[in-house]
Amino acid sequence: MKRRQYLAAGLSVPLLAGCLDGQTDDGDTTNAEPTDSTTSTEPGSPDSDGIYVQPFVENMLTAGTTASGEYEFGVFYTFPHQFWTVTGTERSEQPRSDDHSLHLMASVWDSETETVLPNTGLSVEITRDGDLVSEEVIYPMFSQRMGFHYGANFKLGDNGTYSVTVSIGGTDLRRTGSFEGRFEDPASATVDFDFTKEQRDKLTTQDIDAGGDPGAVEPMDMGMLPIGRAKDPADLPGTVLGSTTADGITYVVTSIGDERFGDGTYVAVSARTRYNGLLVPAMGLSGTITRDGETVYDGAFERTLDPELDYHYGALVDGVATGDELSLSVDVPPQVARHQGYETAFLDTPTVDMTL
Amino acid sequence: MTLSPDQSRREFMKAAVAMGGASALSACLDRDDESGESETTAGPVPSGVDDPADLPASQHGWNDQLPEDEHGNAVLPRHHVFLYLNLDESGEPSEEARETVASALATLDRAYERSNEGLIYSVAYSPSYFDRFDESLPDSVNLPEPRRLSSFEEPELDTQDALLHMSSDRADVVLEAEEALRGNVEANGVEMETPLFDVVTDADRRTGFIGDGMPAERQDVKGIPDSKPVPEESPLFMGFKAGFVGNQATEEYVSIDEGPFAEGTTKHLATIRQRLSDWYVENDFEERTQKMFSPLHSEEGLVESTGHELGDHSGVTPETTEAMPDHAREFGRVGHAQKMARANRDDDGNPLLLRRHVESTDNDEVSLHFPSLQQDIAQFERVRQAMNGTDVDSPSVRQRVNNGILEYIFVKHRGNFLVPPRRHRALPRPRPE
Repeated sequence: MKRRQYLAAGLSVPLLAGCLDGQTDDGDTTNAEPTDSTTSTEPGSPDSDGIYVQPFVENMLTAGTTASGEYEFGVFYTFPHQFWTVTGTERSEQPRSDDHSLHLMASVWDSETETVLPNTGLSVEITRDGDLVSEEVIYPMFSQRMGFHYGANFKLGDNGTYSVTVSIGGTDLRRTGSFEGRFEDPASATVDFDFTKEQRDKLTTQDIDAGGDPGAVEPMDMGMLPIGRAKDPADLPGTVLGSTTADGITYVVTSIGDERFGDGTYVAVSARTRYNGLLVPAMGLSGTITRDGETVYDGAFERTLDPELDYHYGALVDGVATGDELSLSVDVPPQVARHQGYETAFLDTPTVDMTL
Repeated sequence: MTLSPDQSRREFMKAAVAMGGASALSACLDRDDESGESETTAGPVPSGVDDPADLPASQHGWNDQLPEDEHGNAVLPRHHVFLYLNLDESGEPSEEARETVASALATLDRAYERSNEGLIYSVAYSPSYFDRFDESLPDSVNLPEPRRLSSFEEPELDTQDALLHMSSDRADVVLEAEEALRGNVEANGVEMETPLFDVVTDADRRTGFIGDGMPAERQDVKGIPDSKPVPEESPLFMGFKAGFVGNQATEEYVSIDEGPFAEGTTKHLATIRQRLSDWYVENDFEERTQKMFSPLHSEEGLVESTGHELGDHSGVTPETTEAMPDHAREFGRVGHAQKMARANRDDDGNPLLLRRHVESTDNDEVSLHFPSLQQDIAQFERVRQAMNGTDVDSPSVRQRVNNGILEYIFVKHRGNFLVPPRRHRALPRPRPE
């Protein structure tokens, strides 16, 4: 079904206004109503960011949450979505089709720290009464409402109860601190959900007047469920050395001396969206630190997951001093599929220079 | 699975093999009577040997009995049945059971010529089978329990006692041989005095097929998009040929070279679900070529359609493999064959594995059965782990995406087996005399 058809159906439901006011009807499955859909466009912000306010907001329904091993999983769905996959610097539109029944989303997090886990090679198998409906590897995605998650459009059959088994692999990310040695094993867990007209009628969509303007809608309130939000710079461990923004990405640079990172000074770059501070994963990032014209570090800032720094890009250096120059280059743009509003951003990020 | 007179002949035969049983066999034979010719061969099925001891020592010695294509690649029989068997008795097998197995297999050898026109088969035994004995396998055999071989797969591990893999160009032959082993029919006119199934039970039955055009005829199954994109001339559902002779180990090379099981081999068998909607819809031909072979194959136009034009070699050279980090950077993806080639070579450049995989539509899903023969299971594991591409450091090449074909295949089963030499093929002890 097309989003527009849903929209027409949604309009007959008084929930629509409630959406904007953050009210829910019965709320039992709709834990993710838009609570505040005002845009956070900063006055005078440059258009060159590429991030623009997505032209609509929708709610989503929770198919279920479940746990397996050290992981917790959430499975959600909403209207079929247009999105864009990214391979290297190449962007490919994945259009909605009339065949699609829903956009299925999954997220996985560490049950202990509620850290959202990227790089898990996540796949879903959908069955109905034991019969295979689909099985696909679904893509890491980035949306203004949900931040980092995994998603894909699926075609289901008739109304009924479907089982969704989410499977993840051990992560291939570098891990530090108490995350070292964790998230190495695959795991699967299943949720059952009713895909019925009654449920689908709870889905609503609302056009946003500011759609297309520079800015972004706010992430939805996921209730108790975590989303990948970056910490405020003040809450990051170590000493924050500076921050700068380019192409919609804000880099906050902090330095830490801690043996969990090895012998030396660890320079961590926490990359987050300029609006709403959502973690930006899966970039190829490298950097150079120069002091008095001498290069003191030139190399990769490795994609890393740390319980305190969360997802970040890190390099172990001999030391940093006030006045050092840091130059950061995005060698590979974030390899996550993009929902509307992000597809024009983070694809051609210029090198940034900052004085620490 | 249904048998309908409206199905094309080849489709009908595949459906019959998948279904199995006496009724499928008789439907198959009726169909033969009607048309007056068999699928690929006409007339009676050639008989076997008077004395099975005259057959070659290696059960896995198939290639001498198989035809070759114009490039010298061995052409596997079209129809395959994989019977996963458990011995009915517990503990060490009895002499009586051993004699039953020996006699049943000898009957097959007398009944059918060992060739694609008759029946070609092997029986193999699992680590769980050898656990029935107090003594262990000799050091000359490395047969560990099966295990998962990537960070993301969670296969069911096949621990049945034995795997009987039968194949023929003729659907009626694999069906009849199976029914004969069950004691239901004669094998090509030869009485089965001691049916195999007097001492075993089948825990699982899987079927497969391979041959140019066979996948294209069978696209109305789960895992293939409605547009039915599989090329007419392709032997595999993914649209390309595999198993080039230049990338396959020889039967001699994969043979265990010493100890009681010398001239035998080890066999890994993975059963893999294929999901080819995104393969065909999200990738164009160039991207499929990049992912199946390498970005270089696409750049240089080495593959024009199904890869038959590559001849006797996949075209992956050491340079292709060395260029992997560059390809990951430049194209954002690396190829399946490209990743495997390096690990699948000894120091002298000989391929380590002999792969004999076939396609399947069991359960009306696209899948494949992937038997690989090698001296030592550890060799298979190393090559398979190379397929994970974990040494490619690029955010665009992820565990399963842009990483060869890993996005499109889902491993559902893994099993390890020892294929003993013919002299020890009947319920062998771990250290036979």
